[in-house]
Amino acid sequence: MKKLALLLLSVVLVPCALASDPTLAKKEGKANFYANITAVEPIMDAFSAANGVKGVYVRISTTKYLATVMTEFEAGKLEADLLQGPLPILQALKEKGVLAAYRSPSAAGYPSWARQDDTIVQFGIEYVALIYNKNLVKSGDVPTAYKDLANPKWRDKIVMPDPSSHATTISWLVGLKEAGIFANDKEWRDFLKGLAANKPMFVNSFSPTPAPVESGEKLIAISMPKYIITHPQAPLDWARTGVLLGTPRGVAIAAKAPHPNAARLFMDYWLSRDAMKLLADKVGEYVLAPGVFPPIDGIDKVKVVPIRELSDKEIGSWGKEFHKIFFAR
Amino acid sequence: MARKSALTPALIVIVGFLTISPVVMLVAGSFSEGFGAFHGFTTAKYVEAYTDPELSAILLDTSIFTLGSAAVATLLALFLAYVNTRTDIPFKFFFGIISIIPMMIPHILFSVSWVLLLNPSNGILNRYLMGLFGLKEALFNIYSLPGMILVEGLLDLPIAYLIIAPAMSAFDVSLEESSRACGASAMRTLTRVTLPVLRPAILASAILVIVKSLASFAVPSVIGTPGRIYVLATHIYRIIATGFSPDYGKAAAVGMSALVASILLVYLYRYLTSESDRYVTISSRGFKPALIDLKGAKYPLLGVIGLLSFVLIVLPVLVLLYTSMLPYIMVPDAKALSLMSWKNWGEVLRDPISLLALKNSLMLGLVGATLGVILSIFVSYAIVKVRTAASGILESLSFLSFSFPGIVIGVGFMWFFVRTPLYATIWALLIGYIAAYLPYGIRPLSSAFVQIHSHLEESSRVCGAGPFTTLRRIVIPLLIPGIVSGWILMASMFLRELTLSVVLSRPGTEVLAVQILRFAEDGLWGRLSALGIIMIFISSALVAAASLLGKALTKW
Repeated sequence: MKKLALLLLSVVLVPCALASDPTLAKKEGKANFYANITAVEPIMDAFSAANGVKGVYVRISTTKYLATVMTEFEAGKLEADLLQGPLPILQALKEKGVLAAYRSPSAAGYPSWARQDDTIVQFGIEYVALIYNKNLVKSGDVPTAYKDLANPKWRDKIVMPDPSSHATTISWLVGLKEAGIFANDKEWRDFLKGLAANKPMFVNSFSPTPAPVESGEKLIAISMPKYIITHPQAPLDWARTGVLLGTPRGVAIAAKAPHPNAARLFMDYWLSRDAMKLLADKVGEYVLAPGVFPPIDGIDKVKVVPIRELSDKEIGSWGKEFHKIFFAR
Repeated sequence: MARKSALTPALIVIVGFLTISPVVMLVAGSFSEGFGAFHGFTTAKYVEAYTDPELSAILLDTSIFTLGSAAVATLLALFLAYVNTRTDIPFKFFFGIISIIPMMIPHILFSVSWVLLLNPSNGILNRYLMGLFGLKEALFNIYSLPGMILVEGLLDLPIAYLIIAPAMSAFDVSLEESSRACGASAMRTLTRVTLPVLRPAILASAILVIVKSLASFAVPSVIGTPGRIYVLATHIYRIIATGFSPDYGKAAAVGMSALVASILLVYLYRYLTSESDRYVTISSRGFKPALIDLKGAKYPLLGVIGLLSFVLIVLPVLVLLYTSMLPYIMVPDAKALSLMSWKNWGEVLRDPISLLALKNSLMLGLVGATLGVILSIFVSYAIVKVRTAASGILESLSFLSFSFPGIVIGVGFMWFFVRTPLYATIWALLIGYIAAYLPYGIRPLSSAFVQIHSHLEESSRVCGAGPFTTLRRIVIPLLIPGIVSGWILMASMFLRELTLSVVLSRPGTEVLAVQILRFAEDGLWGRLSALGIIMIFISSALVAAASLLGKALTKW
């Protein structure tokens, strides 16, 4: 009983006790940040300038993320102090003992669901929306609901990630069903069939979706509004279709961080309002710091909802289902 | 003799160490229950991978894609090499450079250029042709198997050219003259004398392009996926992309079919060229290739080659230049012209990571290609001249890493290097590059070795020289065109290498291709194109320097 009480006490106290120490962090010199999020250099620079500790950004694509981190971890060569990635990846890393518990004081104002885990803090949502070319789509034609995308007028005019393999798109399509965007299952399936009948052009991920819309090769994309910020001169806008859905982005400290104080200092900075504002302003990310929104017209008024975390098994099985619908000959 | 017989086993050890290690890791991963390379044994990944009902259609498309690309690259290379090395056509140096430009362009950029030119919605060339002929629909659709074959064939043209051109330039014209003297027509001489003698080079080129296109990802991804045409590489990508915990073991299991196909092709090549004496064309120092006088056909042929070069190679590069000056991808119109500037170039040239990547890639290109060619000379010598059963093993080993689909082999190298002190250093990249792209050095050198008669070496040996002295004093001087080709292929490849770099590169060891991928992922096509053109300039300078040095050494 005594042991159990001690264990419970340590579980509660340890995450709080290990607060960041700027002096020790400075001595450690740097914090290695393994991340799949793109274009975060302004935040790394601001962290380095403000704290005298170098923020090193190691960018790893989602498809190689788990393989890289686990290979390094199992070989005892994981250089990461902090790990940022989609929530399902971080959950997998937590299960394998790669992550350490830490409750950053900077996360205090975040929604409770985003900081309920003692290890992973959810700081943003990789939000998905319909992005269109505002020079080529008349205002009256812009979709006002997701189901509008199934209208035959969009035939051969849509670009989207491959719905049979791109994990985030699979999760998003399932999310549309589960979030009650459609009245019932039949309506949702009719939307999928209508979308498939419009013969969308498939690409591997969200990254290649804006280019065909910008050039006018396609008119509309299932994509991310952040490109409106990162491509400021391109004629992009987002369709106001109601609730937006996306996969949560998380961040955590590595259990065997080579620079543990610098890691905690970086975590505190990353979750701060200043850093989140930079992320929203410069990268167009949807962040969970209260009152911070990307400078995209109307985004502060829309409800952005995190999608339920799908297991890989579910993603695989839904991928097969969507394959039948979208690749039917 | 003892030194010669020890050469092949010694090389098997070196090449084996370089190429087997990552492949062993992948084989282990494909039989591993868990996520990494060494967990419980299972065959489930193979069962799952090879009972996929879609696989047969994917393999059929893969076969058409690879064979088609090999045909396009080899036929174009034969034509260009023949005209460039055997005739008196003007501007040879220019056409020589044009033929190898595609290998200097990052494949993703070349593919995107063709999409901008020939997409059915608003492709620049399609729109032009529609206007010209008053058509209502686009004439070409790049998102098709022929589109994929065209672009992959063009990207692999330099490989074919750099293997065939040295063999063509070493061709003893007296063989053709004898054929003509015996009354054979030009066509009969071509089909019965010229092409059969060039068989090793043609087969080497076709096989290398098949293996290369089997592992290619950029064209299947940028052109195939939008057209819903999936080949082995994109099939593997889908396996990895579906879910957040990608199963590289299953991907490796699928990749094994590419590996087996490549090894079979190597043995087929050895069988088809087994009587190597038939292809010898340099048997004495008196050899001198002669040029064919094109007479009246000179300028029409110049026009044809000029037009081909412009449409197939120069135009996509011009599209890159155009894109590099725009804030985002736009079709050419008044607005696009008004937005053109050098801003992207400034951003790239001021970006410290781009500059570091440039420095690292240049070092890897120069040092890696030099070391790679030195190793390739020994390996090719053992493969062609020693020619024992062990030579066959050596040749297959040299193809091991090269023939694995790129997205998987990178992980194999990571699984290997992480167990060494080299992990996350520039040396891991250097060793990985040489290991993965050894065939780029070996193939042109083997083709060149095949054409040198053993009488020359035997004479040297009779005079008391050992095998290494013979290699240095007799063989290497005759190999200069092959050495130059191998060096150019390796240096250009290392400058734009992505597959291994994207997995092994870390802060401080960034390389150009990784920076290009970052720009692509961020949708910064202007900066991407600017950096791509800088890469083309650097590669062109290296190619020109290597060609000039090769010429000077040949004369010397």
